[in-house]
Amino acid sequence: MGGAPLFRFVLQRALKMVVMVFAIITANFLLVHAAPGDPASVMAGEAGAADPQFMAQLRAQFGLDKPLSTQLWLYLGHVAQGDLGMSYRQQRPVAGLIMERLSATLILTGSAFVIAIFGGIALGALAARKVGRFSETLITILALGLYATPIFWVGLMLVLIFSVWLDWLPSFGMNTVGADLTGFAAAVDTLHYLLLPALTLGLFYMAVYARLTRAAMLEVASQDFVRTARAKGVPEGRVQRHHILRNALLPVITVAGIQAGQLIGGSILVETVFAWPGIGRLAFDALLARDYQILLGVFLVTSVLVLVFNLITDLLYAWIDPRVEVM
Amino acid sequence: MNRFAGEFAATFLRNKGAVAGLGVLVLVGVVAATASLLFPFSPWDMRGMPFAHPGEADMLLGGDSLGRDVAAGIAYGARVSLLIGAVSTLAAVLIGISLGAIAGYAGGSVDDAIMRFTEFFQTVPSFLLAVVLVAIFSPSIASIVAAIAIVSWPPVARVIRAEFLSLRSREFVHAAEVLGRSRAAIIFREILPNALSPIIVLASLMVASAILLESGLSFLGLGDPNLMSWGFMIGAGRSVIRIAWWMSVFPGLAIFLTVLALNLVGEGLSDALNPRLARQR
Amino acid sequence: MSLLAVRDLTIALPKGADRAHAVEAMSFGLEAGEILCIVGESGSGKSVSTGAIVGLLPSALAVTAGSIVFEDRNLLGLSAAEMRLLRGNRIGMIFQEPMTALNPLMRVGDQIAEALKVHGAADSEGRVRELVEAVHLPDPDRIVHSYPHLLSGGQRQRVMIAMALALEPSLLIADEPTTALDVTTQMQILGLIKEIQSRRGMGVLFITHDFGVVAEIADRVVVMQHGRIVESGSAEQVLNQPQHAYTRALIAAVPHRARAIEPPASGRPVLELVSVRKSYLRRGGLFSPHVRVPAVQDADIELRQGETLGLVGESGSGKSTLARCIVNLAKPEEGAIRFHDTDLRRLARRHWKPFRKRIQMVFQDPFASLNPRRRVGEIIAEGPMAHGTPRAVAESKARELLSLVQLDPSAAGRFPHEFSGGQRQRIGIARALAMEPELLIADEPVSALDVSVQAQILTLLEELRQRLGLTMLFITHDLRVAAQVCGRVAVMQRGIIVEQGQTSEVFSNPKHPYTQSLLDSIPGRHWLPPVTR
Repeated sequence: MGGAPLFRFVLQRALKMVVMVFAIITANFLLVHAAPGDPASVMAGEAGAADPQFMAQLRAQFGLDKPLSTQLWLYLGHVAQGDLGMSYRQQRPVAGLIMERLSATLILTGSAFVIAIFGGIALGALAARKVGRFSETLITILALGLYATPIFWVGLMLVLIFSVWLDWLPSFGMNTVGADLTGFAAAVDTLHYLLLPALTLGLFYMAVYARLTRAAMLEVASQDFVRTARAKGVPEGRVQRHHILRNALLPVITVAGIQAGQLIGGSILVETVFAWPGIGRLAFDALLARDYQILLGVFLVTSVLVLVFNLITDLLYAWIDPRVEVM
Repeated sequence: MNRFAGEFAATFLRNKGAVAGLGVLVLVGVVAATASLLFPFSPWDMRGMPFAHPGEADMLLGGDSLGRDVAAGIAYGARVSLLIGAVSTLAAVLIGISLGAIAGYAGGSVDDAIMRFTEFFQTVPSFLLAVVLVAIFSPSIASIVAAIAIVSWPPVARVIRAEFLSLRSREFVHAAEVLGRSRAAIIFREILPNALSPIIVLASLMVASAILLESGLSFLGLGDPNLMSWGFMIGAGRSVIRIAWWMSVFPGLAIFLTVLALNLVGEGLSDALNPRLARQR
Repeated sequence: MSLLAVRDLTIALPKGADRAHAVEAMSFGLEAGEILCIVGESGSGKSVSTGAIVGLLPSALAVTAGSIVFEDRNLLGLSAAEMRLLRGNRIGMIFQEPMTALNPLMRVGDQIAEALKVHGAADSEGRVRELVEAVHLPDPDRIVHSYPHLLSGGQRQRVMIAMALALEPSLLIADEPTTALDVTTQMQILGLIKEIQSRRGMGVLFITHDFGVVAEIADRVVVMQHGRIVESGSAEQVLNQPQHAYTRALIAAVPHRARAIEPPASGRPVLELVSVRKSYLRRGGLFSPHVRVPAVQDADIELRQGETLGLVGESGSGKSTLARCIVNLAKPEEGAIRFHDTDLRRLARRHWKPFRKRIQMVFQDPFASLNPRRRVGEIIAEGPMAHGTPRAVAESKARELLSLVQLDPSAAGRFPHEFSGGQRQRIGIARALAMEPELLIADEPVSALDVSVQAQILTLLEELRQRLGLTMLFITHDLRVAAQVCGRVAVMQRGIIVEQGQTSEVFSNPKHPYTQSLLDSIPGRHWLPPVTR
């Protein structure tokens, strides 16, 4: 795939992304206005609604006495400038609050994704190779079980086992409070705290990818070109890796893209259980305080993250599959 | 039709997992239906000492931080889960079938528009959207059911649309056109009955994810405040997990078993519906 | 010493299959330098036997008896590792479906090189190029660097042949390699196989269901039915003096009786197509234009009362599109489609209803043309009911029609999946006839059927046509079928009708080079099947 078509492809997808972001922002806007009650009190949140000065400021800022379309325009303008509103409770701009915690969430979801993808594909491929044998049944049952468990409960059970009963790992936070660690030591410390939450989030999706990989490999294994490869005398190992697995990965990549949104959304539950200082935790606290500006801000940011991730998976897919017309 | 039903049942019953799943579901259903007989009091009532261990004070699965019976909570919670799961899935399926059928049959720009709309809902993180919706419209059983339905319909629409697109160019549909049958007859009597079988499987899986969604929402405190639900119980037990592990473990097991059962039944349905298709070739 | 000697090969089917063995007591031999054709219909076991030879049987099937001796070794006694060393090395194999036979994610050159590499042979670029040239692929450099989806079916099949022959095996097994290809491409591939075979002195085991192909390339023939060999001998013997009843029936089923020359039909035309044009829009993305792909260009056709016009062409010729335009399943952009005096192209959907009764269609795929969830009786009765016939009347009519197409009337209560392909096609014909049409369009009605069943359906159609006074438009890619069934024929190539006229005239004196090449591509065209009682 050459340079020019690639550029066009990226440009095309980027344009689609922009349109989607617009749609999400508009949806945010509509939600605020669709909620019961005065939009200003919705935006101000529980605490802010008590302060008449703040309310007046909000009304002026968002032009709440002007027609709907002008309001939407104003709102879009704010967002374009990075202004996601103000949290009354925390007395700080929402955008700032989110940016502070974004990296923590990215570390968590990133590690969970890595666990899920590599673990899932490995287990799924193994299960496909050993269909009918005990190991395959075991993997299938394990995947089915993990897939049926609520993420937050898995988290709590892991805390119960590894933190309460065995006391091997910490159960909340991101690093040891008070210990001023830097560099490598700090990283190792964070890793301690990262293990359980990443495992919690990752195990569920590992089950998803394992089932998917297994099904995809079984499907691909029955296709004609696999028979051709065997008829050429290709050794079985190479048939599995080079012919079957590579083709089976295509649907896995597609689903990974689709599931990305759910993975990031699931982080709110995991961050709540483990008190992980990311935007999910921020959203949970905002929920309790009825601070809707933050909630909507987190919603917007996570949607944009999903869009970016989708773009990456689309590119990956197009890179691997030569049949995709990049034109 | 009887022959189909017979063969379908036979294939389904051969699948041990599916049968086990069905058994568990029946059990859960029975517990939900007879909750007020088994526990003739409100699950919110204080029945013993706070943090009673399982087996103490007449409470089989222990008591929570306010002395409420965990077992009773699970029994009444079964009602909430099954009800919300079924109703929200039904709503999502209806929305999905309508939009998917229109998109698949009409094609062209109508199809495009509906597909963009569907993509939007599939892009935004669905759990977060549900959280936002329930938060903004105040938690109640209605808003929860609506929120779950709103985030769950896209896969249904996609599947129905794909089925319609493929069936539309199937020769028996062409034959119906050439015979001069009306559009409505073609959609409802030729295409739709053939498009529905993947939906049956999808629906059972959707009830499972609806239950997971609902438990997530109530875990975060967004459940209907008048209803004792499994997610809420786990949420209540979170901060005291060190001293009362049973508050979190048992409701979680209930969710696990129910969702697992639904998944097994869904897979059994899928296998039972497909051999017939395979035999047609 | 034979190259390959198969003795008493017996392969068991799993429990519950419609017979105990896929292949029973099969014995045959193949010498170096000769082409042996294994002929049979679907389910005869012909493909299963070759799977056993290379050790690629599906796990559900097991060899229970017999021996397969290749170059002095019993293949059935070899380990999986030893078999692997033989595959692609001493025994090459090519399969039926070229479109799915190559890994879509690997370049063609890499796949050919793989055949060399896994056996330790030099996989240099030069060697790969040589192989590509040996199978007469144009522009070898481009092909080597292309991915499979950019190649046509015929090209992919040549790549398969190149891979199979990379290490110069002494045995080539070809499992219906040309069945999925166009007639003209089929001829080229058959020629290629013959050329390579004679050059290298290979033994070729060629599986087919088409006796024309047998006549074209076989030295010796083996005929299989229900897993057993019923006849074997030299090609000359089996083709011209078949002994076994089944062989005789198969050969008799090959359409060869030329239609008696009839006086051209007179009277006003029933159907007239004038300058019909239909193209499809291939949608581009944001940055590339939509492309108009013409499917039918300036089609002119005339069909008179009582005659059968054949529309002949290869895949992509536009013949099916044209048929769909006539019944309003596709809308042409230009031209006139006159049915008696009405221009059908200009009719709105709601005005079509009365014409639905007069123009009906029989479809190609017996498995997809009947709604799997409806009983047969309903399927046939639904047409007349949609036009106002009361249910009871329509249902009894359906039962009559079932007898007319030589099925038992009780079939009305059963579902399509309970019937065979040929029977379903009869149901499809009954459905079309329920409307009592004047014009019947048959879109490749026998292409998806076994040879013996084809003959029955063609005979049925001919009887019905005469009895009911139908006018027929018969679409097919098989020139032999057209010769037998159609009085007049129109040849289509890439959307254009290149020649039209009386069948006997067009086939004996073709004027257009494409028609000529189509006729030259009929496999075994020099063979005159013996007329048997």
